[in-house]
Order: sequence, then C-alpha cells, then structure tokens
Amino acid sequence: MKPIAEQGYLIVAINTPDTNYVSCAKTLAKTIKYWHPDAKICLLTNATDASNPVLFDYVREFPYPLDLENPWANDWQVFRATPFRETIKLEADMMITSPIDHWWTMLRNRDVVVSTGCRDWKDQRASSRHYRRVFDANALPDVYNAITYWRLSETAKEFFDTVHMIFEHWAEYRKLLKFPEEVPSTDLVYAMAANIIGAERCTMPFAGYPQIVHMKRHIAKSQTEAWLDEFVFEYSGYLARINTITQWGALHYQVKEWTHD
Amino acid sequence: MTQGVLIFAFNNEETDYLSMAEWSAGNIQRHLNLPVSIVTNANYTGTAFDHVIPADAESGGTRYFEDYNRTVTWHNAGRVDAYNLTPYDQTIVLDADYVVASNNLKRLLNAPQDFLCHRLAFDLGGQTDMRGINTFGKYDMPMWWATVMMFRKSNTAQYIFDSMQMVRANWQHYRDLYHIDRATYRNDFALSIALGIVSGHTQKVDEIPWSLASVMPNTHLTRYLDQDSYAIEYTDSDKKLKFMSFEGLDFHAMGKKHLGDIVETDRRTRLLDSSN
Repeated sequence: MKPIAEQGYLIVAINTPDTNYVSCAKTLAKTIKYWHPDAKICLLTNATDASNPVLFDYVREFPYPLDLENPWANDWQVFRATPFRETIKLEADMMITSPIDHWWTMLRNRDVVVSTGCRDWKDQRASSRHYRRVFDANALPDVYNAITYWRLSETAKEFFDTVHMIFEHWAEYRKLLKFPEEVPSTDLVYAMAANIIGAERCTMPFAGYPQIVHMKRHIAKSQTEAWLDEFVFEYSGYLARINTITQWGALHYQVKEWTHD
Repeated sequence: MTQGVLIFAFNNEETDYLSMAEWSAGNIQRHLNLPVSIVTNANYTGTAFDHVIPADAESGGTRYFEDYNRTVTWHNAGRVDAYNLTPYDQTIVLDADYVVASNNLKRLLNAPQDFLCHRLAFDLGGQTDMRGINTFGKYDMPMWWATVMMFRKSNTAQYIFDSMQMVRANWQHYRDLYHIDRATYRNDFALSIALGIVSGHTQKVDEIPWSLASVMPNTHLTRYLDQDSYAIEYTDSDKKLKFMSFEGLDFHAMGKKHLGDIVETDRRTRLLDSSN
C-alpha cells in the first residue's frame, strides 16, 4: 500500500472468541491521543464495526486473507497494511502512561527496530527468563514485537517477508529450534526473522527504550496472573502507578478483560 | 557555612551506643576533621562532642540481633528529626556503629546534591545474598540505607525528612501499602518510602556513588594491627573458617557486640595510658 501519511501508530486488533482486542485498541488509542493529540493512529482489524473517527485516523482491514487458526500468523501483513511511511506498531493490550514522542528520534536511526528486552513495574530491566526459554536455548535475540518500528524500505520488506515465510512454513522452521513452540508466537517468529536478516539490522539491544512494562506474573512477581487483584494500582489523569511507582511508556497490562474507561 | 557530623545514640539493654558514638567521634575528628554532635537521652559529661542535643529515646520496636542471640529494644525512631536537630548547615548523619577509617566521607561534603545516601550495601565477607537486604517489602522495593546520610539545609532535604516523619507517624498504613511483614519501624524503610515520595514516585534518587561496606552480625569483627585496621572471621559456604583483614575502609558494623568489644578495649587502653 502506498503511504498516505508520514508517521503514525498502527494498532493490530484481531478479535477472538475470548478477547475483544478492538476494545483494548480503543483504550490504547485514547492514551496515545491524550499524550499526543496530533498523533496519527491506524487500527488494523478484522472487526467490521470498529470505526471511531475520534480515536482512529484510519481503520484498515487486513489486505490478505486471515489465518484464523493462529491469529498471530497474520502479523506479517502489517507492512502491507500500514498507511504510514514510518510506523510504530503497538500491541493492542497496552496503555501509554507518559509521552512517547522521543521514541521516534531513537528509532528513526534504523529501517526496522523490534524492541529488545522488557521492564518490570519497578522500571528495572526484567530479569526473569521464565517466558524466554526457547529464546535462550536457541540464542535468539530477546525481542518483543509489542513495539516495532519500521520505515518503508527494502530492509522492512525483507524482514516482514521473512516473518511471513516463517509463519507459512512453521513446520519446517521449527525443526531449526531446540524446544520449539507448537504454535509460533509473534515474538519467536520476529526473533528468528531478526536472526536471519541480521539482528544488527533490526534491533537496538543497547537502547534503554522503547521497552514494554510487562505485567506477566513471573516478571511482575505477582502471586497470580491477576495482578490487579493483588497490587495497588492507581490511575488518574492518564498517569499510572503500580505499588506507588510511577509507570513510563507502554504498560502491557496483560489482563485483557480489564480496560480503563 | 557550618559542617559537621550528627550521631544518634540511645543505649538499650545490650549496647552502649553512647560509648560507640564517643569512640566514633575520635575517628571522625582524626579522618574528617569535622565537629561531631550527638543526639542522646543520656547525661553525657565528656568532651568528645561539639554539641550534646538532648532528646527522648523513641523506640521503633524490638529487633533480634544474632550476635547477642536475643531481642533488644531499638531506639531508632528519632532519626527522622535529624533535619530539625542538627546544628549544622551541612550534615552527615552517621549510625553510631558506622566505623570511619578513612577520609572518604569528605567527598560527600563537596557533592552538589542536597541529599545523598547509600542505595546498596554489600557483605565484606561475601557470604550473604544481599538481595533481600537491599530491598524491602513483599515486592522487593528498592531500599536506600539511612546509615549514612548527607544533607544540606534545603527544601529537598526538608521534604525528605518531613516525609519520613509522615511515614513514622502512619507506620501501619505504610506497612500495609508496601506489604512489610515486620511490625518494627525501620529508618531505612521510612527513608526509602520518603525518597520515593519526594522523587515523584519515580525512584530516581541521588545516591552516594559507592556501596556501603557491611560486616554482618554473624561475622566476628576484631581490631587488627593498628588503629584503622580491622579483621573479620566468618564461615564460608563450605563451612571453612575464613579470615580477612582490611585497613582504611569505612564500614557498617551490623553486629553491635563485636564493635562494642573493640570500643571497650580502646576505652580501657586509654584509661590505662592516662593513669601511667
């Protein structure tokens, strides 16, 4: 697709029987617009009733048929679907808790940047490797697709074509891995794609940001996945605090059924 | 601008903190050439201190000390008043059991910050996993140590001490908020919570740019060859007895008994010398 705008955020939201990701995307868009009222936001979705001109400047349907068995496997389409020359893709189940426009300055140094590493709610680089065993076992880059930047470029095309190929031929690619996942996650496929095209071309592991604040149990050190039942969470004026600590950037709240009105 | 050191010394059933502070004042004057004031409830008649500031002993509760093998009263809750009590424009507050053996702390007086303290402590014997000691509460919140604090009379320092007072006054609330299991009030926790508040809950805090050397309570501390040289004996993870000596290194003697023995030995030596 030819770009029709220069820079913007792309939120991918494929509703599943369990989760209304469009609702998550609206929360995310609302928080982006609060901090950056002029930000352009595109929703990429399979929902037909997702139009919301206040929150979304563009609503796009996936340009190619969807893989409904593994919704993650459609991610490669983001490159073809974005209306922006430069895109920051964000996972829908996040909220933005501080200004993020400085991300662009950092990310524009590369054609593609997949965020590397994540932080816990104490703003410390997450040390738990519980969810990253397959990455560590295969020496894959520790990427998180939840924040991915690309500009319209040959590198980006190569990266997303590789992502497409891995999803399409997962049965073959999984043979390359120790302890492969049965159903490939986007993070794992991005990591493999990064390795294939060269991690130095599409990651910036030395950069302290952007990184998601991950609220999965083993990173947040909560007793259960339902961290909202356990932690003191304050949300006021689009500022978030967890156990008194102010949150920065993208909070990946995990608990999908919760969205802030 | 006046500069000096402030020490809080309230004796309990086991530890003569006043003697410790008096002994420490000698070290401080030798290495830092700074006047030392003491905050105490004791009737002190000696000459070691620049000012003797009377105050009531405020108990934060009781605490078990491994070196004494018993629980003792902990008169630590008055530390939050340091800002109001200090006679100096720029103050270094030290625990009575902090041993000054070098002029390192002089650097703090030249720092541009209005408040500094240690973020991390480490075990000189290297036997203790400090992760549980350098954090507090169920969720391992970062802990700053109140053992050494430098502050200037300034808005920032006043906000920090005011916040510590608020934490002390509402200790049960903050215990609940931070999931602190022990009922005993602790200055380190109050300071950490206060620094969180004053930093706008960002945990971005100016720190002393080196870590706090600590001799743990289960480590036997002795004087070594001369005045500023000490030795520790401890059992390592292979149950082997280890010995290490060090000289010219400031440290926090977390086991009060062994430091008390050194202080007492020095006091007796001084008395004998003066009687000869």
